Amino acid sequence: MTIVTGQAEMSRGAVPVRTGVLRKIWVHRADYAYVLPAIVVMLIVIAYPIYYTIDLSFFKTPPGLQLKDKIFVGFDNYAAILTSEVFWKVTLNTLTWTIASTALSFALGFAAALALHRDFLGRGVMRAILIIPWVISAVAASYIWKWIYHSDFGIIGAVLVELHILDRPPNFIDSVNTVLPSLIVVNIWREFPFAMIMMMAGLQTVPDQLLRAAKVDGANAWQRFWHVTFPHLSNVSTVTILLLAVANFNSFIIPWIMTGGGPANASHIWITHIYELAFGRQRWGVAAAYSVLLFIILMTLGYFYVRALSGNERKERGA
Amino acid sequence: MSATTETSPSRASGRRRFDGWRWAGRIFLVIMLFYTAVPMIWMLITSIKSGFAAMQFPPQWWPDEPTLASYQKLLDPQNSVGQDFLRFFWNSLFVSTITTILSVSVAVPAAYAFSRFSFPGRNFLFFSVLLRNMFPAVIFLVPLFILMRLLGLVNTPGSLILTYMTFGLPLAIWLLKGFYDNIPIQLEQAARIDGATRLRAFVTIVMPLSVPGIIATAIYSFIGAWNEYIYAYTFLNKNDQLTLPIGIQRFFSENTTDFPGLMAASFLMSVPVVVLFLVLQRYFVRALTEGAVKH
Repeated sequence: MTIVTGQAEMSRGAVPVRTGVLRKIWVHRADYAYVLPAIVVMLIVIAYPIYYTIDLSFFKTPPGLQLKDKIFVGFDNYAAILTSEVFWKVTLNTLTWTIASTALSFALGFAAALALHRDFLGRGVMRAILIIPWVISAVAASYIWKWIYHSDFGIIGAVLVELHILDRPPNFIDSVNTVLPSLIVVNIWREFPFAMIMMMAGLQTVPDQLLRAAKVDGANAWQRFWHVTFPHLSNVSTVTILLLAVANFNSFIIPWIMTGGGPANASHIWITHIYELAFGRQRWGVAAAYSVLLFIILMTLGYFYVRALSGNERKERGA
Repeated sequence: MSATTETSPSRASGRRRFDGWRWAGRIFLVIMLFYTAVPMIWMLITSIKSGFAAMQFPPQWWPDEPTLASYQKLLDPQNSVGQDFLRFFWNSLFVSTITTILSVSVAVPAAYAFSRFSFPGRNFLFFSVLLRNMFPAVIFLVPLFILMRLLGLVNTPGSLILTYMTFGLPLAIWLLKGFYDNIPIQLEQAARIDGATRLRAFVTIVMPLSVPGIIATAIYSFIGAWNEYIYAYTFLNKNDQLTLPIGIQRFFSENTTDFPGLMAASFLMSVPVVVLFLVLQRYFVRALTEGAVKH
């Protein structure tokens, strides 16, 4: 928060530096005009909903969402969450989903970026194909994979049977044990390209001279990667992992379309559960309380995100 | 660095291991290509089967009688399925285009201000804009639904455009700020010395230079709006207002066994964004990484 830009003073060199905050705001009043439209839109659609969610979480609101009939219940909604069995199950699912998706997407994306870093014939085409899953709609992706996992006519099951590995096609997404891993595979399919793009751009910033110097000094490929390349990528890696973690924590479409949280809540994660509580069972208060808890968790993650980003910025200004 | 100088294996063994890594990379890429492409290829193969041919075990790896019937059905305005599909397609196109135009016009001045000026609260505002991206739609869903009801926007494209703008904006601002940071400030200073106002310097010098950034931001907004599901699912329930993701879901719930039709619809839905992306991917990839990676 203490990043002060020298260049920003470009047109205001004559402004006295040590004045009160109000004075400063007044002097810079024209600058706010540029950000004002963005801020107004954000206020309507962000600040208001956040206030509203916190408010709702302390009330019991009737199913039809008639706000004038809501009853104040204090922390009852929060108590209801923490004492329910589903909460712990869903939390465990969410952790599995977020950690596995993030770690594997990042690892696969990073490895693909490294493999694509060197120029070879067809590299552009290869890169384009690998990125496509990230561009297409998650709804389309969910249906494609639902068909691939189909318990009677799915292609994976058919291949396994044709190769005599199994007697009959397995039930990937109708079985409590396999549903979450199966959905994670779909999620990674959509997400590793993002990590790949970020890491490919990061790799371009690693100075060639350093790598060549290390090679002359006799460092092997692994040593060059570990001691030269990797330290250079620590910042972009942090940002990528945080963005992936947040996106995964907030996933909705894939589990919602493919299984709707089932069977027996085995693929419910926080977001799908909140959605079902609110719009399925119309327990608005409990859903709002869940949202507030989620909000607190995300603010914590957000703190690290901002720190990683301002680390970048500080480096850049210093350079 | 120090560790790399301590160990010095013979050159020959260094080179041999190097090749090993290279081969590992190639094999890995082939596996990833397989993982990425097989689902998409299977989608295409299924979409040219008849409903009967798709439901066979073991499956026909290549359809005995390839047919474009599913595509014809979806794109035929005379047919009721085709009517719906084309209407959803048009709704998606309308919402995505308007969202893109509005987002870019709001994001350009904001990103420029964040990049160039220092005003009190600049960093606070910038990071609060970014933080917006951290929150899932679900948090905003109920209050926004109430807000839209208040504004009379439920079941209109307006509700989607307003919401899409806000989740598109943070990223648009972030992407564009990266571009403005890379435009040398001296260019504007020269113009200012020649007597141009700040606004004029912005419009005549900076705007033309940032066209690649604006293109990238526009693609990003468009793809985001085109693929959005959860708000559309909540705000719209009239058949003639639905966008494609919801339309396809409805199609599937009504024709649970028509997998060729579903795959053809998924394919047609992906075509615009994939084409847009492939044509303009240079801008897109560059912009996305500009914010996180500094050259």
